[in-house]
Amino acid sequence: MLTELLTPDRIRFADDVGSWRTAITLVSEPLVTDGTITTDYVDAVTESIAAPGGTYIDLGFGFALAHARPERGVVRPGLSYLRVRPAVDLADDPAHPIDVFLLLAATGSAEHVQTMQELAMLLTDEDARTRLLEAVSPADVTSALPQIGQNA
Amino acid sequence: MKILAVCSTGLGSSFMTHLNIDKALKTLGVSGVEVDHADLGSVSADSADAVFVGRDIAEAAQGLGDVVVLDSLIDQNEIQTKVAATLERHGIEVPS
Repeated sequence: MLTELLTPDRIRFADDVGSWRTAITLVSEPLVTDGTITTDYVDAVTESIAAPGGTYIDLGFGFALAHARPERGVVRPGLSYLRVRPAVDLADDPAHPIDVFLLLAATGSAEHVQTMQELAMLLTDEDARTRLLEAVSPADVTSALPQIGQNA
Repeated sequence: MKILAVCSTGLGSSFMTHLNIDKALKTLGVSGVEVDHADLGSVSADSADAVFVGRDIAEAAQGLGDVVVLDSLIDQNEIQTKVAATLERHGIEVPS
């Protein structure tokens, strides 16, 4: 369940972060702190974005789904959210302004399948996207999540 | 008919695209099309009839056959339109 992975302590907001690298550091912090991922995973995600074609994690509509391979430091599944104001350019590429960074710690397990199904449902829903973009508190974000159960 | 969604890790973006293609097929009322996802390194030209990728790896995906480039991986309207066009290109009738 997304509500179990994206708990209020993993939802953050930051103003004037300046660069995508800072955004990745900030969105990673809650998961590093609670031991969901190691700092190696943060490095892997950063390397992946900086590599050629690394902006492929830009899903569109201002959302980025940052992730790397599980063997690069995922301890257990997790998800964190960071809303940056103003948007920052992913990989310093003006074609990829990002408002919401989602950091996914995936394991490739059955649980990952369910997580991705819920994320896909959530992010293809225009109303949910608007709520995630306009959120100013963790409660705003978590309240956008349960709606997917009703649409299923 | 097989459609493959491809990204660099084969876990996040491609999986999301895969699920959204499934959803598009369901909405279009088309069955019997196999959909899967994979990482760029494990895919060859004969892996699938059509390969869906985000615009950033479009260049890297050259040579994989019928490559469909998506501007957004979560724009269901775009995905559905491009899935329908792909099916028609491959001779599969779209009911709706």
